[in-house]
Amino acid sequence: MSQPDLNAKSRLISQAELDKWLDGLARTQTLIAPRNVSGVVLYRPVAGSDEIVKGVNRPAMSVKEVFFPPTERLLTIRKTGTEIHINETLPEGQAVVFGVLPCDARGVRLLDALFLDTTPADPYYARRRANTTLIGLACKEMGPTCFCTSVGGAPDDPTGMDMMLYPAEYGYMAEAISDKGHSLLAEAGWPETVLGGTAPDSTGRFPTLEKSQWPGHFNDDYWMKISERCLSCRACAYVCPTCRCFAVRDEMLGPGEFERIRCWDSCAGENYRRVAGGHRPRAEKGERLRNRFYCKFFYFPGQIGLSDTSACTGCGRCIEVCPAGVDITEVLQDLERLA
Amino acid sequence: MNTNPMLPYPGKLVEVRDLADEIKLLRVELVEQGAEAFKSWQPGQFAFVSAYGLGEAPFGIANMPQDGPLLDFAVARLGSVTTGLHELGEGDTVGVRGPLGNCFPLEKFKGKNLVVLGGGIGGAPLRPVIQAVLSQRDEYDSLTILWAARKQSLLVFTDEYDAWRAAPDTRLHLTIDQADPKWDHNVGLITDLLKKVNPSPNNAISVTCGPPIMIYYVTRMLAEMGFRPEDNYVTLEARMHCGLGKCGRCNLGDKFVCVDGPVFNMLEVGNMMETYL
Repeated sequence: MSQPDLNAKSRLISQAELDKWLDGLARTQTLIAPRNVSGVVLYRPVAGSDEIVKGVNRPAMSVKEVFFPPTERLLTIRKTGTEIHINETLPEGQAVVFGVLPCDARGVRLLDALFLDTTPADPYYARRRANTTLIGLACKEMGPTCFCTSVGGAPDDPTGMDMMLYPAEYGYMAEAISDKGHSLLAEAGWPETVLGGTAPDSTGRFPTLEKSQWPGHFNDDYWMKISERCLSCRACAYVCPTCRCFAVRDEMLGPGEFERIRCWDSCAGENYRRVAGGHRPRAEKGERLRNRFYCKFFYFPGQIGLSDTSACTGCGRCIEVCPAGVDITEVLQDLERLA
Repeated sequence: MNTNPMLPYPGKLVEVRDLADEIKLLRVELVEQGAEAFKSWQPGQFAFVSAYGLGEAPFGIANMPQDGPLLDFAVARLGSVTTGLHELGEGDTVGVRGPLGNCFPLEKFKGKNLVVLGGGIGGAPLRPVIQAVLSQRDEYDSLTILWAARKQSLLVFTDEYDAWRAAPDTRLHLTIDQADPKWDHNVGLITDLLKKVNPSPNNAISVTCGPPIMIYYVTRMLAEMGFRPEDNYVTLEARMHCGLGKCGRCNLGDKFVCVDGPVFNMLEVGNMMETYL
């Protein structure tokens, strides 16, 4: 977690100035921001600042879907007689995402480590990531299911952002984080000031299991018990900023025309590991739920070279969507107590 | 070469033959960029083969790199992709993505007594090990092959048994689960055969591939026979959709079968084998 430097040179802007600037961005490129889509707030393209939902706690889905869409075309395939033509379909277009939550940007950082830094890089993700700028908005306070502070984050953590906005008494403090952010801020031409202000309350946290203690809990009965209520519905994985399992398959578009797509998948699914021939490893719900927790807190961080961190960003979405009341904070605290 | 690792190379089917009941051997010839990409692949690696329009699936490469741009894949007709591959004939085009995964540490195997245990189509990824030993027979000590299938018609590479048997210091032991009137070898599971053959763990390496349940019990039995975890090798199969360590499907604990394997020894995965079942 990196804390904002409250003495750093920053820019103070009013809500009206910010809106005007966002309207300008929306005219020249795709501006993605929290928007009300039939009663659900999602990161979606907006025509201008008036479409942006302000003061929202958290979009229902994480910003992951901007870089790693739920369904994405990888190739098109055309068959004519015995000839086969393959066309690579890399994504096009620039975008600015405004109003990114600190927990979601930490998720992007973890996905970067997998899709960009772990060879070979994923060209689809890489293209979207290179063509996208992230403008973060610090949370004024933590929501009822938020727990970023317990997993290494903070409501004003600028990690992973290009530019960060901190709500101030009258407007926002804007700070450049990356090179992209510096040029964006220079173009905006807002007056320079000193950051100041107060950080949001981030003191509420609970203890979690030490990394070294995870292997010792693998065979605990706890996993079978807690999973009794799990429905294997996979909702937790889809709303998670860092769950990134996917399936690849071919779909027919028309006579002789096909596409190869990838779509989100989850280790909670009953047939996730099923192989042709019918063999199905991790057949038990408990084994699958356990895998999700081990992946999130133990396996995945190590696989992407960030073993001292957790792949949970504490956004709390999985707690809200779980129809069976599986609460990740409850599991973490139970494990800590069992330790 | 392709900078996009999800983009397959075109391959032409130059030979299609029945290997066993519902199992075909596809020989694919790569050209240009594909041949270049596979120029220095190693025995033990795998590749994704596309039946365009139906999808792609991973297969261990079942021959030796000496065959140049020709790759052998043993394909059992089980799902939609493999059914699509079975319907193709010589001259048809498939897609090939790879080479992927690690390889057999053949240098470590040299000078050792090798015990190779293959169950059903699991014998296919072991064929390069057998071929490697036979092509440099003096480099290795004894070779003991335990070859199993549910029934006689599912035994793979039957036309190569005579050549295996004829090689110096090489023994082939066969078993099938279900008795057959024309069968004059062992009847029973491969673990039963393993008990009878009782290979010595002295200066020995074992390499196992087959159905998960077979791998699980065979590696345990070998351990009981004194094979050290670091000498007890397997090549694993798992459902995978990328082969690049991204899609997340094939994990065995903190390891991915696709990039950390498919070849492992029991020192690496022994404590996670129960989750492979």
